[in-house]
Amino acid sequence: MDGLEKKELTILSEISRISNSPADLGHKLQRIVNVVAHGMEKEGASVFLIDPSGRNVTLAAAVGLNQESIGRLSFPLGTGIAGWVAEQKVPIALLDPYSDPRFSYVPDSGIGRFRSLAAAPILDEDQCLGVIFVLSSEPWSPSSSDITLLSTTANQISGVIRSARLLDSIQERLSELATLYEIGMAITSTLDLDQILGIIAKNTSQILHARGCAIRLVNLLDGHSSVRTAYQAGEENMKQLDGLIGQSVAEKIAAERRAVVLEDIARSDFARTDPAIEPCPLMGVPLMYHDKAIGVIILYGTDDGRPFTEEDLQFLTTISGTAAVAIMNAVMYDRMEALAEESRSRASELAILYDIATAMGTTLNLDRLLRIILTAATMGGAGLGFNRAILLLVNERSNTLQGMMGVGPSSWEEAGRVWSEVAGRHKSLLEWIQSGEIFRHHDTEFNSLARSIRVPLSPEEGVLALTALERRAFNIKDAASDRIVPRELRELLRVNSFATAPLVVKDKAIGVILVDNMFNQRPITDGDIRFLSMFANQAALAVDNAIIHTNLEAMNRDMRSMQEQLVQSEKMAALGAMMAEITHEIRNPLVSIGGFARRLASKVAGEAEKKYIDIILREVSRLEGIIHDNLAFIREMTPELKEDDLNGVVEDVIELYEDELLQRGIEVKKELADSLPAASFDRQQIKQAVINLITNAMEAMPDGGVITVASSYRSEPCEVVVEIKDTGPGIPADAMHNIFNPYYTTKVRGTGLGLPITHRIVKAHRGRIEVRNQDSGGAVFAVFLPCPSKDKTV
Amino acid sequence: MKKILVVDDEENIRLLYKEELEDMGYEVTTAASGDEALAAMEAGKFDLVTLDMRMPGLPGIETLRRMKEKDNSLRVVISTAYEDYKHDFGSWCSDAYIVKSSDTTALLETIKKILG
Repeated sequence: MDGLEKKELTILSEISRISNSPADLGHKLQRIVNVVAHGMEKEGASVFLIDPSGRNVTLAAAVGLNQESIGRLSFPLGTGIAGWVAEQKVPIALLDPYSDPRFSYVPDSGIGRFRSLAAAPILDEDQCLGVIFVLSSEPWSPSSSDITLLSTTANQISGVIRSARLLDSIQERLSELATLYEIGMAITSTLDLDQILGIIAKNTSQILHARGCAIRLVNLLDGHSSVRTAYQAGEENMKQLDGLIGQSVAEKIAAERRAVVLEDIARSDFARTDPAIEPCPLMGVPLMYHDKAIGVIILYGTDDGRPFTEEDLQFLTTISGTAAVAIMNAVMYDRMEALAEESRSRASELAILYDIATAMGTTLNLDRLLRIILTAATMGGAGLGFNRAILLLVNERSNTLQGMMGVGPSSWEEAGRVWSEVAGRHKSLLEWIQSGEIFRHHDTEFNSLARSIRVPLSPEEGVLALTALERRAFNIKDAASDRIVPRELRELLRVNSFATAPLVVKDKAIGVILVDNMFNQRPITDGDIRFLSMFANQAALAVDNAIIHTNLEAMNRDMRSMQEQLVQSEKMAALGAMMAEITHEIRNPLVSIGGFARRLASKVAGEAEKKYIDIILREVSRLEGIIHDNLAFIREMTPELKEDDLNGVVEDVIELYEDELLQRGIEVKKELADSLPAASFDRQQIKQAVINLITNAMEAMPDGGVITVASSYRSEPCEVVVEIKDTGPGIPADAMHNIFNPYYTTKVRGTGLGLPITHRIVKAHRGRIEVRNQDSGGAVFAVFLPCPSKDKTV
Repeated sequence: MKKILVVDDEENIRLLYKEELEDMGYEVTTAASGDEALAAMEAGKFDLVTLDMRMPGLPGIETLRRMKEKDNSLRVVISTAYEDYKHDFGSWCSDAYIVKSSDTTALLETIKKILG
């Protein structure tokens, strides 16, 4: 073995020993350059390594050069001897490097002490990892075996670097895994979403040396992909930056489900909106869960201003997977909690409603039922717990809402007393009802206040009418500023917040319930409104039942009274028949009395006798008049209905009485409608009725006057109307209510049956007759007859 | 001289009508029932009959029918306290329907008109 081989073996075995030692790459290279310089009996040696970027070679270890240059002395590839070797990947030996144009002299490095050098690339297959130098302070021309030794050494170093780098990457991977595991542990340790977002943001920005981190979540509940919830951590200016561009970056990432990495935000499309944006790198990835982007993580800026690397992105992507699962778990847990809470409160509401329903089922009496409903609305614990409640029902005839009942204390003192009383006893609603206690104390101030409420059912009347018309609940939080709350209602209730709910049955509002918390001022929540609405629906059914029941009872009563009337009218019919018989029997002797008296009158001469006979004759004809009217009244009045024109009847009657009216100095004014709808009536009977009214008017004006006969019609319900006005003295107030009574008259003569007969005729036609005095004097009689259809005219 | 038969169950009315009609120059026979009236018609011929409707025995309407069977040209004035018979079609073959009144003018005028 010659000297060179021995030297070579020494160097190589040393290097192989060094490469197996546990030291890091820097120390190993340092020991290697020592071994190489010593082994080749030269004063200096160094190793340059190519950066991960592949653009520069940087001094990594040296002997004989200034130690400060390590990590600092750097050449771009192709520059200087190190750069040239690294690029050309061939060894070189220079006896006088200072005269070589490739040489780049760096005085601080300490290279000036050396006269000659040799260098070889450190190759791994085709790739150059760095360059090894041997430096000699004497002029030196290395032999070819020196160059071979240097190249062999370089190969050895290549192995050292490779294994060190492998170890580094394994260690890095391990530490990454450890970090990921830690993050995983941290974020799965809690189900609190805020906490999870905090851990993710903090750890991610720490590990990736980011200056700020924002997490935005897609609104999962409404199914829209808009990114809403934001979580920010880090420096204040990074948070502001996120405020400026975070939303649009997040939307892009979520929409494309792809990472975004920007070297400088300020030069990106996102900054276009705001030129004042601070230049810094950005990296964001989607949070993917089952192929769906549930949000994004965005990192802003790095500690040293360098851009985010491919490794950073990989790491963030890995974290985002775990984070997405943790976030979803938390969201689901939240939702389940909410659902559980909701079903708990639903269950308790249902239990209360069940009790109330049972209570409402105990009566069909409307008054009692309303009291139960309102007590339930104002009871704490077993009820809805409002302070006061008012129930209003729709009156269909007048189309109004009418206050039916109010339950609640009228004053603070009463409130305090009642509630402590109730609280002390813990009674259920049913127990209250069974004890009969809730049906006492009706005449409270609040009850009469409630009963005074009357609201027409039209939208401009405000919240009560609207509740019924729109069939929805209202939660009035500030009555003073709410346009739909009329001032009167506010002054009546003396509260600034209250709620209403409709009582709806079969899509129809039958009433409204109003509640407030006047005394404890507890705000009425949306939950309260929902519960109130459910309660109102149930109450509506019960109220409807009670109303139907009441109506049935009323109908029953009507039937009974109709039956009684029928019996009565049968009796009347029998009586009538008897009356008719008697009346006829009276007629015959009257004929004889009157007839002979008349004969006598022509046969006596004395004035006194003539006067007496005259009296007999007058009284007989009066009796005959009574008989005539009585018979007409007794006669059955079933009209034979036929469609006819009322105007025609009126014209007939006026024509019939034309002469007589003229004689009496009475003018007739006709104000007949151009065309009347056809009405069904008995022409003879209605004619009689009109005759009676004309006669009545004539008799009211013994000194003449004007009779106005007018006809008209109305729709809904369709009615034809005939009005007869006179210019007489009118009807005395005390006679007004007796005017249609048979056998009542203000006239000196006559039976007083004219108007009752008219009344009976009109009633038999299912019509009505109205009478009033005009302001200008004189009476008006109006007869209304129903017509079958308004679009038929005669 | 025209001959008139007054049929009425009321004696006073028979007397009243007889005297009034005799004053007017008619020859008057009276009958108190339907049967009596029919018997009178057997005995002699009349120009006109005043006929009550409600009588014991043979009712007015039936009496009217039988009279018309005997003599279809007989003129008949119904004189009754009842207004209802006006609508009884049996009465339609009479010449007039007068509701009884203490004032006999309407009856007498009608008879005078019929007999000319």
